[in-house]
Amino acid sequence: MMRVVLRKELLELRRSPVLLLSMASLPLVVVAVPVLLLAWLVHAAPEQALASIKDLYDVHAPGGPVVAIGGILAVKWLPMFLVLPIFLPILVAAQSIGGERERRTLEPLLATRVSTLSIVLGKSIAAMVPALAMTWIAAVLFCAGIDAVAGRLLLPDAAWTFAILVLSPLLALFGNAAAVVVSSRILDPRAAQNLSATTVLPLVALLVFELAGRISLGPRFYFALAGGVALADLALIALAIRLFDRERLLTRWR
Amino acid sequence: MAAIEAHGLSKSFGGRPACRDVSFAAERGEVFGFLGPNGAGKTTTLRMLAGLYAPDAGSARVAGCEISPGRPGGAELRARVGLLTESPGFYDRLTARENLLYFAELQRAPQPGRRCDALLDRFALREHADRPFAELSRGMKQKLAIARALVHDPEVILLDEPTVGLDPEATREVRGLIADLAAGNATIVLCTHHLDEVERLCSRAAFIAGRLVGIHEIRRGNLVRIELAEPFQPDAVRALCRSLRVSGTSLFIEPLADVPEIVAALVRAGARVAGVTPQQDRLEDAWLQLLAEARAA
Repeated sequence: MMRVVLRKELLELRRSPVLLLSMASLPLVVVAVPVLLLAWLVHAAPEQALASIKDLYDVHAPGGPVVAIGGILAVKWLPMFLVLPIFLPILVAAQSIGGERERRTLEPLLATRVSTLSIVLGKSIAAMVPALAMTWIAAVLFCAGIDAVAGRLLLPDAAWTFAILVLSPLLALFGNAAAVVVSSRILDPRAAQNLSATTVLPLVALLVFELAGRISLGPRFYFALAGGVALADLALIALAIRLFDRERLLTRWR
Repeated sequence: MAAIEAHGLSKSFGGRPACRDVSFAAERGEVFGFLGPNGAGKTTTLRMLAGLYAPDAGSARVAGCEISPGRPGGAELRARVGLLTESPGFYDRLTARENLLYFAELQRAPQPGRRCDALLDRFALREHADRPFAELSRGMKQKLAIARALVHDPEVILLDEPTVGLDPEATREVRGLIADLAAGNATIVLCTHHLDEVERLCSRAAFIAGRLVGIHEIRRGNLVRIELAEPFQPDAVRALCRSLRVSGTSLFIEPLADVPEIVAALVRAGARVAGVTPQQDRLEDAWLQLLAEARAA
């Protein structure tokens, strides 16, 4: 039954080009900006700019300024790739319950034999699959771009591999479960989307501090983050299923 | 055994009662009407019978499945009940066939593809099957919604306002479809505020106005109105009538004997008969009388 829900959700998504385009726009920017910045620094920036960046991050790596700055970008930009798997499923998942209610499809759906678990899982996987695919494609393009501009193999390193392959799915699950929880409580899908999107703020803050040179996140941090997010995922999934009360979903607007 | 038995169903939302003390029974194969103004509690009652809400008080047995406070009836009930919701509620980007197939699969209909094709043929939607739902006319959307209610071949069919918002042509078509369904063996509950719809399609109707006001049997036999010159207690002719209702100086009877014989008996008992006219059983009269009785009580 979950497969039936999943198939329908993916079919609807495939027929929503505007939504897919809006989902793809953020990864595009996340890849293009740092790669173009590095290319500009390599080809056009004066030595002074390179020197000041090296001073800011206290980098004295061998291999010349381009490799050093490529290395900095590789480390500092990673949190942005962790924002993607949280933010992208929210664009779909926040519509999951509120959207059904708005289109008046919720009552016919709940009047069928489909279980609560099948609805939640089907909708969740449908939100996560395109988000993860876009995140992974963006990561491959970013690594290839940085390596090409730097002229040597800088990425992926161990932290990147772990973050993209392990942490990204956990974060996607987190963003999606948060969106399902919010969507089951908030009537308006747009309001649900906005509220769910606030879950990315801690990661954005990390990114800002990292880029400002205030903190330096290493593999240990990402391991710990993965453990914490996994626990949060379990709690949120349990909450999502508990909040998905068929009667309450139909009557709450009253 | 009745297909639906409801005993004192009550439901409120946020302390505001939506319906209370609704009791009735619908036999297998019967078309039973729910009549009442907007906001009277018809849809709430229907949703309880469909297993979407649990009642606050009372209980019901629908197609053999129990409904009681805290137990709205589970997947088993939903497998035996088909619900036409007030609004068609389909996915705009999916085609008519994809929409119907989705619900057929969710209801675990055997051979869902074939079942959908058969229903699309039956409802004259085959040539529109590959059009996105958003492009269908209001009448087509409603027919597709009725097809969805039937997709798993339910024992009980609950129809909530099936003709609301339809133009006269589509209304006629949908009423024809319901009449076809009624000719089958399914039990149908038709929820509407159109008296004529109930008169045409139902055998009995429950009047709901926050609570159950009364249940009226719709007779399509010969009803006679005897107009009297002054009020009179017609006890002398009760045995000659299948039913007898007094409204002021009017007697509405379903005769068991010949009408002249009944008139003669009335005259012998002292009544002054002013006129005799054949009469249709007007649901509107019954509705107004029941409302008046309820208000007086």
